[in-house]
Amino acid sequence: MSGGTPSTFEFLGLTFNVGNMISILIACAVVLGLVYALSRHLTMKPGKGQNVLEYAVDFTNGIVNSSIPGATSKFLGLWGFTLFMFIIVANLEGLFLHIDVSGVAYVKSPTSDPVVTMTLSLMTMTLAQFLGIRKLGYKGHFENYLKPFVFFLPINLFEEFTNFLTLGLRLFGNILSGEMLLGIIVGMAHGGPVIWIGAFILELVWTGFSVFIGCIQAYVFVTLSSVYISRKIELED
Amino acid sequence: MFSYSIVGAQLYVGDMLFVMLSFLVLMWLIKIIAWKPITKMMQNRSDKIASDIDSAKESRTKAAELAATRQAELQKTREDANGIINTAKQNGQQQREKIVEDARNEASNLKSSAEKDIEQQRQEALANSRKDVASLSIEIATKIISKELNADDQKGLVDSYIEGLGKQK
Repeated sequence: MSGGTPSTFEFLGLTFNVGNMISILIACAVVLGLVYALSRHLTMKPGKGQNVLEYAVDFTNGIVNSSIPGATSKFLGLWGFTLFMFIIVANLEGLFLHIDVSGVAYVKSPTSDPVVTMTLSLMTMTLAQFLGIRKLGYKGHFENYLKPFVFFLPINLFEEFTNFLTLGLRLFGNILSGEMLLGIIVGMAHGGPVIWIGAFILELVWTGFSVFIGCIQAYVFVTLSSVYISRKIELED
Repeated sequence: MFSYSIVGAQLYVGDMLFVMLSFLVLMWLIKIIAWKPITKMMQNRSDKIASDIDSAKESRTKAAELAATRQAELQKTREDANGIINTAKQNGQQQREKIVEDARNEASNLKSSAEKDIEQQRQEALANSRKDVASLSIEIATKIISKELNADDQKGLVDSYIEGLGKQK
C-alpha cells in the first residue's frame, strides 16, 4: 500500500499483475478449502460444518430468490453463492494477511484493486444481458431500452453504464479505503512505544470495522447484482 | 498513488482475464464439490419433511378413526354386557320362582301323601283293632258260653248248624 509500482509481467501481449494473481489464487483456494471442508460427510441430519454451509447456501439463495423469481434463479443460486463467498473472502483477505515486499504488495485484498472489482461488475452485467436476451429474446431485450419512451434510450444506456461503474467502484472504494487507513495506522505505529499502543488499539478497532464493511459489501454486491439481473429478465411496462 | 488504477496509464487486461477465469473455475469446482450434493441433500430433506408431515397427518386421522371405532365398540360391549346381566337376572328370577314353586308343590305332595299314609294306617289300625276286638269278644264270649252251654244247648246248636248245611245244599 505504499504506492510502489506493482510487479507486472507481459504474456501474449497482456499485462499481468503478480500481486493480484497471488491474492486471487489465495482467495479462491480459501473459498474452495472452506467449502470442501464444510461439505464432507453430508447427512440428512446436518452436522456442524454442514449446518454452516447450508446456512450460507440458504442465505445467498435468499438474496437471489428475493429479487429473481422463477426457474432462472436455480442456476443463479450457485452463481450467487460463489460470488458471495469469493467477495467476502477477498474482502477479508487483506485484513488477515498483507504482504509487501519492498513496497510491492504481493498479498492483499484483490477487491481493493479496481481492475478486479470492475471485472466482477462486468461479469454481472454480461450475465444480466445474456439472461435477458435468453429470456426475452433479442427483440424484447433491446426494446426494454426504449421504454417508457423512445427518448429514454440515452438515459437507459447511461444507466446501464453507471450500474456497471457504481457496482464495481463501490466495492473497490470500500475495501481500498479500509486497507489504506490500516496502512496509515501501521505507518503511524513507527513513532514510538506510546503511539504504538495507541495505533494498536486504533488498528484493532478499524480492522473490526473493516470486517464489518467487507461482509456488508459482499452482501450489497450480490444483492445489487441480483437486482440488475432481475430487471433485465422481465419486460418493463 | 495507484498508477495501475483504471484512470491511470495502464489497464491490466490480463488481470481481468485472470479474474474471470479464476471465478469461473471456482464456480465450477464449487458446483462439483459442494453445490450439487448440498442442494440434493437439502432437496431430499425438504421432501422428507413434507412426506413426514403428510404421513403424520395421515396417521393422526387413522388414530382418530381408531379411537372412534374403539369408543363405539366399547359402547356396544357395555350395552351387550348390560343385556347379558339383565337376561341373567331375569333367568335367575324365573329359576328362583320355579324352584320355590317346585318346592311348594313337592311339599304339598309330600304333605298329602303323608296325610294319606296316616289315614291308611289309622284305618288299618282301626280295622286291626276292630278285628282284635271281635276275636277278643268272641274269645270272651266263648269263655262265657263254654261255661254256660250245656249238652242240650250244644246239641241244639249242632243241629241248627247241620240244618243250615242242608239248606245250603
